[in-house]
Amino acid sequence: MKILSIAMRNIVRYWRRTLVTTLAMAFAGFIMILFAALMAGMIQTSERNAVIMDSADVQVHAHGYLDDPDLYKRVDNADALVDVLQRAGFFATQRLYGFGLAAAGSSSAGVRLRGIHLGNEATVTQIHHHVLEGAWLDEGVPHGVVVGKKLARTLGVSPGDEVVIVSQATDGSMANDLYFIRGVLKSVAEDVDRGGFYLLEHTFRQLMVLPEGAHEVAVMRPDRATDLESATAEVAALAPDYETKNWRQLQPVIARILDMADAQIIIMIVITYIAVGTVILNAMLMSVFERIHEFGVMKAIGVTPWQLTVLIYAEMLVQVIIAAVIALLTGWWVADYFQTNGIDLSAIAKGASFGGVAMDPIWRAYVTTEALVTPIVFLFIVAVVAVIYPAIKAALIQPVKAIYFR
Amino acid sequence: MARHAGAAGRKPKNDIMRAMETQHSPHILRLENVTKTYQQGKVEVRAVDDLSLAVDRGDFAALCGPSGSGKTTVLNLIGGLDVPSSGKVWLEGQDLATLSRAKLSAIRRDRIGFVFQAYNLIPVMTAYENAEFVLKLQGAAERHCRDRVMAILKEVGLEGLEHRRPDEMSGGQQQRVAIARAIVTEPAIVLADEPTANVDSVTADALLDLMQALNRHNGVTFLFSTHDQRVMDRAHRLIRLHDGKIDKDEVRN
Repeated sequence: MKILSIAMRNIVRYWRRTLVTTLAMAFAGFIMILFAALMAGMIQTSERNAVIMDSADVQVHAHGYLDDPDLYKRVDNADALVDVLQRAGFFATQRLYGFGLAAAGSSSAGVRLRGIHLGNEATVTQIHHHVLEGAWLDEGVPHGVVVGKKLARTLGVSPGDEVVIVSQATDGSMANDLYFIRGVLKSVAEDVDRGGFYLLEHTFRQLMVLPEGAHEVAVMRPDRATDLESATAEVAALAPDYETKNWRQLQPVIARILDMADAQIIIMIVITYIAVGTVILNAMLMSVFERIHEFGVMKAIGVTPWQLTVLIYAEMLVQVIIAAVIALLTGWWVADYFQTNGIDLSAIAKGASFGGVAMDPIWRAYVTTEALVTPIVFLFIVAVVAVIYPAIKAALIQPVKAIYFR
Repeated sequence: MARHAGAAGRKPKNDIMRAMETQHSPHILRLENVTKTYQQGKVEVRAVDDLSLAVDRGDFAALCGPSGSGKTTVLNLIGGLDVPSSGKVWLEGQDLATLSRAKLSAIRRDRIGFVFQAYNLIPVMTAYENAEFVLKLQGAAERHCRDRVMAILKEVGLEGLEHRRPDEMSGGQQQRVAIARAIVTEPAIVLADEPTANVDSVTADALLDLMQALNRHNGVTFLFSTHDQRVMDRAHRLIRLHDGKIDKDEVRN
């Protein structure tokens, strides 16, 4: 107890050094919390764009469809399967896909037609909230379509403009019709932005002469806490005749890039904290060398090497605790500000993507427990490691040399 | 002055200590053929040269001699602050060379009191806390600490100055705190290295009166290192050193 009390007084006695060391640690902690929160925000946005805006957690297809997205490879009993999945607690929707040529005025572009079940889709993805201009699909407007952002630019269309679709229907006939642009999406992902052409399910069926079945059943977990792998296995069990894959299997590159973002945070923390560790080591070494005489006296009157080690560690721990509190409070506060307001990158990063997934021009932080705790845990580890040498140095001081050291 | 009651439960706890206490030898410490050499650049300096010496319980003895005669080195060796190059040092029958760092710390804490020329108080602590520190290291109970420290501070004439820090006290007052710290645990011996060197003559006399009284009434063994004539005049035994050897060892009445 006495040792801790001496530690506290020493911290106050050398207040300038205490201030510099504590602020250095607090600043590093603050930067790391902010960095981790911003990276978490970027990961969350990317995952959201990849999963919540388009692919969903799990997809069910006819065998071979993913390798060869043929109009005729369908999930025949799609409506029944959707029903089964919904009863099992999942959110599910049937989707229809086809390829075609879109033309508006003198411009044309290849598009991927996407037939959407309006009610079910809204339970699975948030795409209906991601409209940049105009409005989302409406059951009351069967010929209204929504297109990707870059596709609208390529075709030179905006809401209200007409667009013609030409394709081949399932019966071999020429499929063509005139639609009007109801809405233009914000950036989602490269393929959606360049070729996304959303129609109502029955409009698609009419165009492509496809009365039943679906090319894809998209499934979302009931909550994000449910394990993706086990959800995939459960869906596969409910759809044994089809191929079931989760978004990480469907988009392995994006999954890997997002996983690497976690590693990037750790690498940045390690690099920053090596610098902080050097500051702590230097400060504690100075503190030991300045007090060699005092330590000698303490050893002479009976303080053991272990008690001196405890003293050095207690001094450091008090400073780290103060630094951690400062870092946590300021880091949390600033990260929370950026979570609410974001950083507007539209001037420099318009249309930028992260791992092929469109980035929101407003980069928002995402304050997670991990983003707050990981930097603080690392701070403690670095401080404990950095003080090993000064503590050993103090513990092994020879009293006779230390007492007469000036 | 009454001999300190020596708080129940504050006696050294480990077996070594108990064994030492059962020793009935009149010698509290013994040095046998002790030599200490230092390397100064390429030159080997023999600070203590084959010195043998025994100090009895209750002694008020002084090591004297010119600078470089080895007085302070002998005190450091007795106090376990330094280790001899050869020879043995026994304190209460315990060979100091056989002890681990932790046990040596325990011996210094429980059985030896140090008074240094430069006081060497812990600057962040008050007079009370400096005196209390060793008792706390021993793990003494709060109430015992308070009673014992207040009694000792009164005994060394520091009543009312308990809350002053070293930089708020005169040299004499600081040395009184150092003496209080040295005797608070009722050590077997107090080693005082030039305790009067940094104080004026009036203060020096007062400090010597104090230490003499502690020796007479409390039976505290004192071993000084000094070249202050006042200390030499009061010592019951004068051990004159020259070039690390005992030149003359006289016992006076």
